[in-house]
Amino acid sequence: MKSNLLKYTHIASFIIALLFSINGATQENDASNYKMLFNFKTVKQNDNSRLLEVRFIAKNRKNRKDKIPVYDAEIKFFTILNNEKKILGTAKTSKEGIAQITLPKNQKYLIDKEGNIHLTAHFEGTNAIDRREKKITIKDLQLELNLTEIDSVKTVLVKAFTIDSLGVDTPVDNVDLFIAIGGMLSKMKLEEGSITNGEFKYEFPTDIPGDVNGNITVYTIIEDHEQFGNIIQNKTINWGVFNKQITEEKNTLWSDAAPIWMYIVLTILLGGVWINYIYSIINLIKIKKEGEIIELKLEQ
Amino acid sequence: MNLENRKRELVKEFSPMLEKTSSLSKIWISTLIAIILVGLYAFILQVIKGHEITGMRDNVVWGVYIINFIFFVGISYSGAFIAGILHYFKTPWKNSILRIIEIITVLSLVIGPIFILLCIGRLDRLHYLFIYPRIQSPITWDIIAIITDLVGCFIYLYLTFIPDFAILRDSPDLKVPTWRKKLYKFLAIGYHDSPTQRKILHKITKTMSAMIIAMAIVAYTVLAWIFSLTLQPGWNSSIFAPYFIVAGLYSGVGVIIIAMYLIRKIFKLEKYLRKVHFIGAGVVLLVLSLLFGYFTFSEYFSRWFSHKTKDIDLLKTLFSRYFWEFIFANYIGVLIPIFILFFKRFRNIKSITFAALIAVLGLWLNRYLIVIPTLETPYLPIQDTRPEFIYYTATWVEWSLSLAGIAAFLLLFTLIIKFVPIIPMSGIIENERNPKKNKKRIKKYLTEE
Amino acid sequence: MKNNKPKKGSTDRRKFLKLGLISSLATVAGASLISNLASASEGKEKLSGEKVKLLTPEGKIVEVDATNINKYPEALITPTESRKGIPNRKFVMVIDLAKCKNARKCVESCQKAHKLDYHEEFMKIQLIQDNEQASPYWFPKPCFHCDEPPCVTVCPTGATFKRDDGIVLIDNERCIGCKFCITSCPYSARQFNWGHKAKFDNQSQPYSPETQVPATEGTVMKCDFCPDLLRQGKLPHCAKSCPMGVIYFGDKNEDIVTNGEETVRFSQLINERGGYRHLEHLGTKPNVYYLPAVNRQFPLERGFNVDEDIIERYKDVPYVQDLKKQGKI
Repeated sequence: MKSNLLKYTHIASFIIALLFSINGATQENDASNYKMLFNFKTVKQNDNSRLLEVRFIAKNRKNRKDKIPVYDAEIKFFTILNNEKKILGTAKTSKEGIAQITLPKNQKYLIDKEGNIHLTAHFEGTNAIDRREKKITIKDLQLELNLTEIDSVKTVLVKAFTIDSLGVDTPVDNVDLFIAIGGMLSKMKLEEGSITNGEFKYEFPTDIPGDVNGNITVYTIIEDHEQFGNIIQNKTINWGVFNKQITEEKNTLWSDAAPIWMYIVLTILLGGVWINYIYSIINLIKIKKEGEIIELKLEQ
Repeated sequence: MNLENRKRELVKEFSPMLEKTSSLSKIWISTLIAIILVGLYAFILQVIKGHEITGMRDNVVWGVYIINFIFFVGISYSGAFIAGILHYFKTPWKNSILRIIEIITVLSLVIGPIFILLCIGRLDRLHYLFIYPRIQSPITWDIIAIITDLVGCFIYLYLTFIPDFAILRDSPDLKVPTWRKKLYKFLAIGYHDSPTQRKILHKITKTMSAMIIAMAIVAYTVLAWIFSLTLQPGWNSSIFAPYFIVAGLYSGVGVIIIAMYLIRKIFKLEKYLRKVHFIGAGVVLLVLSLLFGYFTFSEYFSRWFSHKTKDIDLLKTLFSRYFWEFIFANYIGVLIPIFILFFKRFRNIKSITFAALIAVLGLWLNRYLIVIPTLETPYLPIQDTRPEFIYYTATWVEWSLSLAGIAAFLLLFTLIIKFVPIIPMSGIIENERNPKKNKKRIKKYLTEE
Repeated sequence: MKNNKPKKGSTDRRKFLKLGLISSLATVAGASLISNLASASEGKEKLSGEKVKLLTPEGKIVEVDATNINKYPEALITPTESRKGIPNRKFVMVIDLAKCKNARKCVESCQKAHKLDYHEEFMKIQLIQDNEQASPYWFPKPCFHCDEPPCVTVCPTGATFKRDDGIVLIDNERCIGCKFCITSCPYSARQFNWGHKAKFDNQSQPYSPETQVPATEGTVMKCDFCPDLLRQGKLPHCAKSCPMGVIYFGDKNEDIVTNGEETVRFSQLINERGGYRHLEHLGTKPNVYYLPAVNRQFPLERGFNVDEDIIERYKDVPYVQDLKKQGKI
C-alpha cells in the first residue's frame, strides 16, 4: 500500500511539475495561438529574370493586428511536372518573413503540354509549425514595352504574347494591366486597361514634368494575374516637360546672403558713426599732447 | 573772478561727497550688494537647471527679462537724446542735470543688455553672434546698435568728465588716497583749460552730441523693429518705432526727475537742483505724457475699431486677464501725470516727482502689456492643458534678477558719484565766466527758488 | 518491497535526468539562436534600440533588436552638409482634412522616431472651428516649411536655414537659444528645450540636423519633414503611419504626392479638391496644402476617442463646450 501511494505521488508530482513548466514557459511564447499565413508569388522583372517570393507571417488568432514574421525558416522552391521535381533554389526567410530567389531569364523550367509552369514553395515543418506548401501555375508571358512617337503623339505601346512549344508567338487577350510612371517615393498609375489581341496602346499625357532633366521612367505592370503572375517592364525616356524655375532667389531676407542694399546702408551708417568716434579719439590725443607741452612749461 | 580761487571753492564744496562714506551710505551699498548676490544665486541656478525655472514656456518665450531690457535701454536712449539736445541749449540751468542724465544713460545701457543675456538659452555660444552674423536679422541690428551706442555714450560721458578731472587733479585741498589722485591725473589727459584745448574739446563734444541724438533714435527704432517686423497680432504695427521712442523718452524723463529728487535730497544740493529744473522737466514730462497717451490710444483704438479677429482676441486678453495692469499703465499712468503737471498750482517738487514715479511704473507695465499678451494669443490657438504653457507667470528667479539689475544700476550710480561730483564744476565755472551774455538768465536762475 | 524501492528510485531519477537534459538542450539551442540573431544584426547594421518580435521555426517568439532604418552613422549628414538639400526636389505635403479622425498615429510615430516626450509634439492635432456656425475639423499641423519663412529671416546666427529642396532645418550646434524664431512663426510650429533631459546625454547616434537626435538643451526644434527617410526613398513617419491616409507627401518638381497607398498628381489633387494653404494672406508661402473637410469620411465625434487630458486641450472650442453641456463627453 505504501509503495502504491509512493508510486502515485511520484507520478503525480512529475505531472504537476511538467504542467507548471509548460504553463510557465508558454503564455504567448509558442506558435499555438497563431495562424500561419504562407503567400507565394512570382514576379517577372524588367530584365526578364523571375523572382519567386514567399511571405511567411504568423497572425494571432485573437488579435488580428498582431502579426509576427517567421524568421530563418527554410523555403524550398521547385518546379514540378507530373512526377518530376526539379529544385530551383532555397532561401531563408528574412526578419520581415520574406524568402526570395531570383532565377535568370534563361532558366529552364519543366513545362507541360499547355505551356504552363508549375511552381511550388515548400516549408518543411518543425515540431511547432506544420509543413506548408503553396503551388502556383503560371504561363510565361512575354511583355514588351515600346515608347514611340506616332504622328508626333507620344504613345506607349505594349505587346504581350506567349511563346508556344513550337516557338510561335501567340498574342494574349483580356489581360488587365496598368501603366505607371516612377516617382521619388512611389509609382503613379496613369492608366488602367486591358490587353486586346496582344496589344495595348496608350496616349501618353503631355504635361508630366518628369525629373529635372525631363526623364520619365514608364512602367507597364500586370499585377496578380491568375495565369501569368506579376510582370513588370519599364523604360526611361525623355518625355518630361520639366520647367525649371529660372528665378533662384539669392539675396532675400531668408537666404544666406542678404539683399545688397542692406550691406550698403549698414556700411554707410556704421562707417559714419565710427569715423566720428575715431575723430573724437584723435582729438583727445591732440589735447593730451598739448597738455604734455603745457605741463613741461609749468614745470620750468 | 579769480579762476583758481573759484575752483578751490567748488572743490571744497563738493569734496564731502567725494571723500567720505557716511554710515548710511555704507548700509545702502551693503543692501544693494546683498540684493545683487541673491540675483547672482538665481542666475547660477538658472544656468545649472536651465530656463525651466523661469516662467517662460513654449508660447510665451519672452518674459520679464526682455521687458527689463526694453525698459532700461529705453531710459538710456532717452537720456542720450535729452543730453544731446540740451547741449544745444545755452541755458545756465542745464548744467546741473547734464551729468545725472549722462550717467543714467551709460549705466542703463550697461545693465539693459545683461537682461538679454539672461534670456539666451546657450550662453556658451554667444560668440556665434559675431562669427556667423546674419544682417537680415533685427537682433543683429540691435547688437550693432547697442554696441555702437555704448561706445558713443562712454566717449561722450568721458568728454564731459575731462575738465572736472583736471580741476580735481589740480586741487590741493582734496583729501583722497594717492591712487585716486593718480587716476584723476591719468584720466584728465593733460587738460589745462588752455584756449586751444578748450576749443578742441568743445568741437568734439558738439559733434558727439549730434551723433548721440541720431544714435539714440536709430538704435531704439531698431529695438522696436524686433517686434514690429514680425507678423504677430499686436506687434505688427507701423507706428511701433515712434511709439517706442516717445515711450522711452517718457520713462527716461521720469527716471531723471526721480534721480534729481533723490540726489537733491540726499546730498542737499538745493542750490543746484532748483525748482526751475523740476518745473522744466515737469513740462517736458507733460508733453511726453500727452504724446504717449496719444500714441497708445491710436494703437488700441484702431485695433478695436477695425475689429479683426486676432486683434479682438488680443484686446479680450488685455481686458480680462490684464485688466488692472492695463488701467494702470495706459490710463492712470497717463492721466495722473497730465493732471498734476497741467495745473500750475499743483506743480511743486514733490508732486512732480510723484507724477514721474507713476509714469515710470506705468511705463514698465506698458512694456509688459506689449510683450506678453501678444505671445499668449497667437494665430493658431494654444490648445494645451498645462497652465504654465497657456499663461505666463514670472517666477522668483526672474523677479530677483530684475531687482538685482535695478540694484546694480543704483550701486554703480552711487559709486560713480563718489568718484566725480554730480554737478559739473567746470560747467558752473563756465556759466559764471560769461555773465554779460547770460545776465538776464543768470539773474532769473539765481533769484528763483 | 525493499527490492522495488531502489528500482523505482532509479526510474524516477532517470526520468528526471531525461527531462533535465531535454530542457537544457532546448535552452542552449534557443540561447544560441538568440545570440546568433543579436550578433548577426550587430555585425551588419546599427541597432536602433528597439525590439522586434520574430517567430523562429522552432515555434519560439523572440525579441530581437530592430535594425535602425536610418542606417546611421554610415549615412550621417553633418550639419554643414545638411545645409544643401536633396538635389532637384521641392518637397510638399498635402493633408486631407476630410479623412482625419484624430487617430494621433502621426503624432505618436513622430515622437517615437525623434525620441520626444509625451508633451513634445512636432505634429500637433488641433481642433479648429472657424466660426460659430462652421463645423469644426481636426487639423494636423506640422511645420509648414514656408517658401518665405519669417523664422529664417530673424535668426541672428543662421542656425535655422532654408534648403534648396524646400525644407527648413535647425542646426542645434549653432543655435544660441534667443527664441526669436519661436516668436516669429505665425503658426506656432517651433518648440524650445527648456531644461536638461536625460535623453540629451545619449550620444549613441551622432547629431545631425536631419534627425534632430539627440536634441540639446537651450535650443529650438520642430518638424523637419524627415529628410533622413527621404534620402532612402521612404515617406516621413507621419505620412507612413496614418491609418486613414490623410497625409500625402511628395515632390512638387515631379508633381507627384503619395500617402503610402494612393499616388496622385499634386496639381490635380489641389485643383480638384480645392487645396488651400493656411493663413495665406500672411505671405509666408507655406509648403503644406490642406484639402477642405467636405464629404467627411468619419463624423467628428470619432475623434474624441482619446485620453481625457487630450480632450481637455480643446475645451475652448465652442463645439466641445456644447458637447460637454449635452454630456456627451
